[in-house]
Order: sequence, then structure tokens, then C-alpha cells
Amino acid sequence: MPSVSSPASAEEAAALLAEAGEAGTRVSIERAGGDLVLSTARLDRLLAHAWGDLTATAQAGLRLSELNAALAERGQTFALDPPGDPTLGACIAGNLSGPRRHRYGTARDLVLGATVVLADGTVASSGGTVVKNVAGYDLGKLLCGSRGTLGLIVRASLRLHPLPAVARTLVVELDGSEHARRLVRALGHSPLVPSAVDLLWPEALLVLFEGSERAVDEQLRAASALLGGGEGGDWEAVAVRQLSSRGRRLFAPGDLRPVLEGLPSAVVRPSAGVAYVPEPVEEALDEAVRRLNERVRHEFDPERILVA
Amino acid sequence: MTLPAAFVRELEAALAPEALIREPEQLRTYECDGLTGYRSVPALVVLPGSTEQVRDVLRSCHQHGTPFVARGAGTGLSGGALPVAGGIVVSLARMNRILELDLESARATVQPGVTNLAVTQAVAADGFYYAPDPSSQQVCTIGGNVAENSGGAHCLKNGFTANHVTGLTVVLPDGEVVRLGGKGWDAPGYDLLGAFVGSEGTLGIATEITLRLLRRPEAVKTLLAGFDSTDAAGTAVSDVIGAGILPAAIEMMDRLTLEAVEAAVHAGYPDVEAILLVELDGFSSQVADDLEAVLAVCRTRNAREIRVAESEAERALLWKGRKSAFAAMGRVSRDYYVQDGVVPRTKLPEVLRRIAKLGREHGLRVGNVFHAGDGNLHPLVLYDRRRPGEPERAEEVAQAILRACVDAGGSITGEHGVGVDKACSMPLMFAPADLEAMGRLRRAFDPAGLANPGKLFPTPRLCGEVPGPYRAHPLEEAGLAERF
Repeated sequence: MPSVSSPASAEEAAALLAEAGEAGTRVSIERAGGDLVLSTARLDRLLAHAWGDLTATAQAGLRLSELNAALAERGQTFALDPPGDPTLGACIAGNLSGPRRHRYGTARDLVLGATVVLADGTVASSGGTVVKNVAGYDLGKLLCGSRGTLGLIVRASLRLHPLPAVARTLVVELDGSEHARRLVRALGHSPLVPSAVDLLWPEALLVLFEGSERAVDEQLRAASALLGGGEGGDWEAVAVRQLSSRGRRLFAPGDLRPVLEGLPSAVVRPSAGVAYVPEPVEEALDEAVRRLNERVRHEFDPERILVA
Repeated sequence: MTLPAAFVRELEAALAPEALIREPEQLRTYECDGLTGYRSVPALVVLPGSTEQVRDVLRSCHQHGTPFVARGAGTGLSGGALPVAGGIVVSLARMNRILELDLESARATVQPGVTNLAVTQAVAADGFYYAPDPSSQQVCTIGGNVAENSGGAHCLKNGFTANHVTGLTVVLPDGEVVRLGGKGWDAPGYDLLGAFVGSEGTLGIATEITLRLLRRPEAVKTLLAGFDSTDAAGTAVSDVIGAGILPAAIEMMDRLTLEAVEAAVHAGYPDVEAILLVELDGFSSQVADDLEAVLAVCRTRNAREIRVAESEAERALLWKGRKSAFAAMGRVSRDYYVQDGVVPRTKLPEVLRRIAKLGREHGLRVGNVFHAGDGNLHPLVLYDRRRPGEPERAEEVAQAILRACVDAGGSITGEHGVGVDKACSMPLMFAPADLEAMGRLRRAFDPAGLANPGKLFPTPRLCGEVPGPYRAHPLEEAGLAERF
């Protein structure tokens, strides 16, 4: 039976990992798999909200809903919006994202710096707390999508955005892949600046506009004139379908139509080139890239203490 | 230092004769980059024309243990392309083709020697542009931008090079070729692409680069506001950000810079202690609403004079002074040292006061012209190298400014990179364990340490030396490049 530990600080986590390393105990983070399961449940504090700088620093176990509730007091938000209210650490380690990545990007664009406890107990930080910084390697990016195999993320500094005054959605019923392609293309070539453009395939296109009341109103009307459809749309349905998806298909944004033709049902983010699909999809790495990934993992965890 | 004969023979076999440079006077062209205080003549320069040739060159380097330094246009300001003793320079200048424009995907795939501006020029007619705009964009290359994670005046809203690269073909230091990412984001595995961008040539050489293109915004508004103090201007910057507005750019210039610029280009700037140049872009009515909000902030902070450009010509004039600021400073002072540091935006007034005090204490003038919106300072420490002790005092002030940035919670570099210039300043920001963790990534890519050795990481050998002062780069002297 695996034991579960919930360190309350980077130092505690470092001691646990160093001990596990000496004993040869396999460790998994926030999931079953290791002899020891490390939980970030007690690393759940917002450490700083520099609202004048639009930045914040939080511990990895903090849930997005709690983070955003605190940031909202100053009219700000962490724009990453994956479904299911994950922790900050899970967002980074799993490279999770949601519809608004269209405008705000993903963890790699929004994480300014990170502190990680490596498998041997080393506590290492990279990046910083300011929005612009090119000093040293950006290990925060390396951690995005690392699935707990490079270390335990204990805290991260984040780039924030102002909460929009108004957010409204246009929904257009879809009539096949060519129709979907035409709509996405027309939107992309228009002066409109949406925050999210999602296909709830095969039913609907959803377009989110955020900003001042006047600008959102004008954009919604212009979008409706350009694409058809009207105000409405159910982002909850998008979240539910993304969350229940077991696989992803990656594609060049320009290949939208052929990708859609092979999909019975999906959430598709055209500008990112990602479709969340019901069935698992094997994501094979090219052999040379796989070896390079292995070399990186070996340098960070030569004893293979951390299990994915 | 002589290179092994077998190594040179391999290069001769892999490359055309004109792709090898070995004449001493020609080699001297490569002895420095934009940071001219450091110089080192390479043993050999190669100019490969393809990924395969880069692969062949790096394989030979690997086999013979010869270090290599990749070089784009040589406009870098941290000595990142400084040659290493006994090593070769791999110039990517001949790999200057745009390989593919896929506008349906909003992507361009280019070779590393393509200039930054050429990307935008290639897609402008179709309504697209490439967002990162370092001031040297007419001459600097995309390969160099990837190495340095280059920024620019308009990165406040849209981010830096790292936010715009979706795919890379990289030749690793042992000659292996890997393809990272593609036209879409979210490639499986570690984000090696993200880690590679900004790695300053220490992880390998990018030979094909896929860039995200953005749609040109419908509306652009540029305004100038004059203030009675840098304090007031700095406070206005954080007020704008705090009000939830994200301009395309917010630039600041102080009195010393304004005087230099007026003398040089007559941009018609007002007679004030500091100006802000704010540019907004996007959907037209959103831009109009944001403009009103910015104007309200400026009035609240008692802006003395506010001008909104009413035409493209007026907009160009407002920017002209800003873009010529560094060159104009050359009229005011024989020599100057350009610093590059970052502070949280709310700390701008405090740090600017500290910088002014440092200048006074050392008897030197310091001009400020910088990317205020993201807190990226570029103090210009003025001195005259003919006066004994002044270069050293300028160096002291520049170093003290870096410490002030770090003390305020900022960074030792926002866009010029660490290179050789700031390797010894890395411990100001990072503990030994932090640097050791970065070293692990380095070893995974380059276990033999052949890619741009002696850069980015502090080493005892390097940090025993005193950095040289700034001198104008030949490109700058020829009027081909500006820095800001």
C-alpha cells in the first residue's frame, strides 16, 4: 500500500524526496503509481499578488478557482482556463489549457518563473517574477507538460490579465467541415479580436469576445453579420466534452478541414492546432526527439525516483 | 590556436571552398558582436548552406572536441556570439531563405539567417506580420532572435520570441538533427522547444524555424504625454497597467535623452522631465475606449502636454525620436554604457530615483530611454574614455544599476541576454542550486560542452576578468543599426 505525504514547504518536500532517493522508493506526484505519493494539498497558498504589476506568485497546490477568487478582488485573473478546476501545479505539469488560450496562450506563455524540487531533493528556481526576463534557461517551460517526471513543482510566478468588463459569446450552428473551415478562415481574416474560437464539433462554433461594453457589442454584431448565428453558446458543454476526452489530435491550423472529416465528435481549437477526441490517441515522439527527452529526464532524475 | 588538420580536412570535404574563411583579416570581422568590449579572433569561420552542412560541421566538431559559436548578424549586445579560443564560428548568414509561407495556418518557416523584418515584409501584403520587433530588426536574424529570445518595443502585448516560435529543426552539438514542435502547439514530451528559445546558442543550432504570424490590427493609436518628473511618468505606467489596459507599447524617455533626441532629429517633443509614448492597437472601438482611459490616467498624473497622433505621418514622427535615441546620445557624450535590466512596473519611480542618485554619486550622467510598459530599463551611462577613471566609474554605475534591479525584485537582463557580459552577474539572481539545475539541461543537450562555451554560466575563469566598456558597433557607426 503506497503512503501519501503532503509536504507544507519546499524544504519538507526536498527532505521527503532526498529520503526516498536514498531508500530507492519510487515516488509519484498527485497520482497513484509510486510507493510514495506526494500530494501538494498543503501547498495551497497565494504567496503574493502584485496587482499593480499584474503578477502573482502561488504555491502549486492552489486550485484555479481559489486563485482566481483571490485575484478577482483586484479585478484580475490568471487566464489559463482548463476544465475541471485543477491545481496550478497540475496545469503546468499537465500543460492543461482551455478555450481562452487563443488569446492568452498556455502555461508556457503565462508562467514567469517556477520553483521545483528535483528527485534528489535539490530545490531550484528559474525565471523570475517580472513579465520580461531572459536571464538563464527557462526551466519553467521545460516543466510544462513534464507530468511529474522532472520534479515536484512547488510554486510559480504568473502573468495575470485584467478581468474583462464584458464577455459575450456568438454561437453558429455548423453544417459540415467545409462550413467550419470557411467560418474559421473568415474570422481569422477579419479585424475582430476574439478571446476564444472553439469548435464543439460537429454541432457548433463558439466565439468569445471580451473587452469594453461597446467593443464587445460591436464585435458580436459584426461577427454575426460575417458568420451568421447569434448570441448564446454553452462553454460548459465545451468544458465537459474536453474533460471527457481521452485523446488529442495535433494538426497544422491550415489542415482543419481534413482533420474534422475524420472526427465524429471533438472539441477543436483551430488556431492552436489541437483537437480533443473521445478515444485515446498514441502520441509517438520521433526517435531522435524521444532520445533527447530521455537524456533530459536522465539528467534530472538519474535514479528514476519519479514515476509518471 | 591551430585546429587539428583532420578536422579542417573534414570541413573542406563538407563545404564549398568559399564557405570556409581562414584569412586573418577576414577572420577579424568575426572577432566580436555588438558588445565590442570583448574580442577574440576565431580559428576558422564556416558558412554552411543547409541543415545537412550544419550537421556535418557539428559532427566534426564533436569528433574532434572543437568548440563552436553560432552567429547570425552579430548585432547581439551581450557577447553571445563572441568566438572562443581554439574554436570555430558557424555563421548562418548564407541560410537566408524563407522556406514556406503557410498563411492558411498563419505560419512562416524560415532559415536562421533571414532577417526579422524580412518575415513581416514577406507577409505584409496579405495582412499579416511577425510580432517581435527588436530595434535592430532590419539586420538582426531570426536565428539570433531565437537564441536570445529577443523582445522589442511592441512585446508588451504580444510577448517575446518564445511566444511566437512553434517549430524548430535543431542540430544538436553531437550532430544529431531533431525536429521540435511543428505548426501547431502542444507537441508531446518536454517543452524542449520552449527551453531552447533563449538558450543563447548553448544547446545547439536552429536551422529551420517555424513562426506564428499575427493579423495586422484594425486600428492603431499613438499618444505622447509629457510629465514634470520621471516619478509621475513611472506612476502613470503602473496606473495604466493597473487600470486593466494592455497597450501594444509604453516607452519612456527622460530629460537628458529628450535633449539629445531634439538636437538630433527635431521630433518636436515637449520641454518636460519625461515623456511616455503609448501605442494601442486592436479592434477600433476597443482602441478608442482604451485611449480614453489612458488619457484619463495621464491627466490624473498631471501630464503637462498630451498629443495624439492623428495621421500615420504624425505617428511616425512620435516614434522617430524614440528610435533614434541611442544614436542621438552619441552627440551628447563621446561614450556610453548601455545597461539592460528589469524591475516590476510599480518599482519604476523608486529605481529611477536610485539610478539618478548612483549617477550623481559617481559624477556621471545617466539617460533613460526604455520599455516602461514591461519594466525593462535601458539606462545609458555617459562617460568619456579619454578621462582617466571614467570608464571604470561607468562600469561601476552599470553594475550598481543591475543590483538595484535585482533588489527591486527584477532581472539582470530583459532582452540583451547574459552572454559573456553578464555571466558573472547570474549569481545576483540565482543560487548555486538554480544554476546547477540549468546545468543539467545543458548536459542533456551538450554533454561535451562544445556549444558556445563560457557563456551564460558563471565560471571562475570568466569571472576573474573585468568586462570592457561599451563602444559603438561598426553597424551602428555606419547607421545600419540602432539599439533601443
